[in-house]
Amino acid sequence: MRRLLASVRGALRAIVGAPDYRRYLAHMARAHPGIAPLSRAAYVREREAARYDRPGTRCC
Amino acid sequence: MRAPLRLLGWCVVACIGAAAIAVLALHRGETVSAAWLLTAAVATYAIGYRFYSRLIATRIFGLDAARVTPAVAHEDGRDYVPTNRWIVFGHHFAAIAGPGPLVGPTLAAQFGYLPGAIWILIGCVLGGAVQDFVILCASLRRDGRSLGAMAADEIGPVAGTTALVAVLGIMIILVAVLALVVVNALKASPWGTVTLALTVPIALLLGVYLRFLRPDRVLEATAIGLVLLAGALFAGRWVAEQPALASHFTLGPLALSAWIIAYAFAASVLPVWLLLAPRDYLSAFVKIGVVLALAIGIVILLPPLRMPAITPFVNGTGPVIAGKVFPFVCITIACGAISGFHALIASGTTPKMLAHEPDARPIGYGAMCLESLVAILALIAACSLTPGVYFAINAPAGLLGTTAESAAHAVAGWGFQVSPSDLTTLAHQVGETSLLSRTGGAPSLAVGMAQVFAGVLGRPADHAAAGGGLALWYHFAIMFEALFLLTTLDAGTRVGRFMLQDLAGRVWAPLGRVGWYPAVILCSALFVGTWGLFLYQGVTDPLGGVNSLWPLFGIANQLLAAIALAVGTTVIMRMGKARYAAVTLVPLAWLVVVAGSAGCLKIFSSDPRLGFLAHARQQLAAHVAHAGEIAFNDRLDATVAAAALVAVLVILVESARVWIRLWRAPYSGDRLLAVAAD
Repeated sequence: MRRLLASVRGALRAIVGAPDYRRYLAHMARAHPGIAPLSRAAYVREREAARYDRPGTRCC
Repeated sequence: MRAPLRLLGWCVVACIGAAAIAVLALHRGETVSAAWLLTAAVATYAIGYRFYSRLIATRIFGLDAARVTPAVAHEDGRDYVPTNRWIVFGHHFAAIAGPGPLVGPTLAAQFGYLPGAIWILIGCVLGGAVQDFVILCASLRRDGRSLGAMAADEIGPVAGTTALVAVLGIMIILVAVLALVVVNALKASPWGTVTLALTVPIALLLGVYLRFLRPDRVLEATAIGLVLLAGALFAGRWVAEQPALASHFTLGPLALSAWIIAYAFAASVLPVWLLLAPRDYLSAFVKIGVVLALAIGIVILLPPLRMPAITPFVNGTGPVIAGKVFPFVCITIACGAISGFHALIASGTTPKMLAHEPDARPIGYGAMCLESLVAILALIAACSLTPGVYFAINAPAGLLGTTAESAAHAVAGWGFQVSPSDLTTLAHQVGETSLLSRTGGAPSLAVGMAQVFAGVLGRPADHAAAGGGLALWYHFAIMFEALFLLTTLDAGTRVGRFMLQDLAGRVWAPLGRVGWYPAVILCSALFVGTWGLFLYQGVTDPLGGVNSLWPLFGIANQLLAAIALAVGTTVIMRMGKARYAAVTLVPLAWLVVVAGSAGCLKIFSSDPRLGFLAHARQQLAAHVAHAGEIAFNDRLDATVAAAALVAVLVILVESARVWIRLWRAPYSGDRLLAVAAD
């Protein structure tokens, strides 16, 4: 039940385009183990800024 | 054994769809049930998806689950993230479905339900869905490159630059026309104004909450936001009931425009986390929720379509949008049939999220069919209104006059019956003093939606009371639409500012620095000022502004679609699949005819209601007040339309040169590379 709730939560977040920090950490640990990942706050800030700086995320 | 059975099943679907379309087309006289329109739509999408999208997926692109997608190849935990296909579907749908598919069909209802419905269905399965799908596949095979970059790579630098400038130009017109729709929905409506104004502090509160109190708890914050939004709805009603307070929030069009311009400027310069991001999350949930609710409501209620199949206004005398049914129904309905803007999404975030190539089919083609269905729902909501009421809400004050009596008289002159008391009663039932000439589509759609929701949930006794059930639903619908419109408007302003900075940075590098406040403020002001000019022109136009700005937006949007289809054709030919080039060439040719003829009519028609230049001449000759200003605006609009036509021409000539080269050098690895290199 908990797992189901968590996956629904994850899906809803992904659909509205909320940043996925855990996924980013997993990627950094796997692909770039030598590099220190961004903090959660820095990651969220970077993602939100990227969302509104080019066309392609929103339509009429 | 199973294959013939399946084929038989599809034959049944085809027959049901054909029968439903026949009923819609041949029905005359009394009302016809929305069930026929829904059936025709679903059958059309199902067949288009099953057969046509499959042809594109297998014969043209050969989508292959074993092929590595950009999301997998370049996974970075940021943009490139392989994602479950249903989540990408939801994300893509939330990105493409804006206010466009709601407003366009509502305006096009003036021609009757049939022209709009036919264009939405055919335009989607043979045009819009094809465009989205082909561009998504093309971008998927090119590391998720953007439309502008693909135009430059595949066609040439001139086409690439034209595409970039076109996108910027369309953003300006889009934002202006959306702002105008908001103004027309909220003017002289304290309830609506207060409700929408409250959404701004709600967003700020959520921004602070997400930043400092509970970082990154998006769902929790959104849930709080939804509760506060409901509170804002009741707060708006409370204010509207206090005469002393209400007068402060009863704003005219110019005051509302000034507030919206100030808001968009603030959204462009303030940090994203404070305003844009929290609003966006909230609006995405509201959007998906309301669209679902509308679909369920219409399916339960199956309202009768009271609008005739075809109205006399197909001859070009319509009060909502000037011009004959062809080409103007195809200009009025862009989103929902074919929208160039989608090509930006299909070459933006979406291709960077696909985990497997075959997912592109449900997302590229399927999501567009779903958006098209939203357009059909909006058409149903608009056509379920009494035609007299529809025209009283959507016709400009210049034609209706300002009283219920004059409006009823004008509507009777067009051949539709509505009594003045019906109009005032309806206005009171939805909690407004007047619904006349609220052009732009949002209010008439809100009345339609309110009747659907109230019809499903409310008790009839509630509706009669002023400020009762119907009023709450109406203002809920207005809040939803305005939230929706403003979210596109503020994000569009910010993106426009970035694009402007990008261009300005090429002239003087510091202007391109996105962290340098003087450049940020200058470019924001420049972008806001440009669309503000069009908005000002719209609100001061006695014919309502929507009449001139919406077609301009439609032409510009179709221009972008033409660019996307030209890119798609080039991509298909470069793959050595020139024999399938008709898949994108046919809709391209159609759009060139539609946008070309509509553009020429808007510029050169001698009818002052239709042609910008003729209108300028008429106003100058009649020496009306502010004639010089009106003529300037008309000529500005004519210039914009001309620029769009020139851009189409440039893209066509550039593409044709590449196509002829590709045609002469039939597919073989070496020669294809040689063509690509020069």
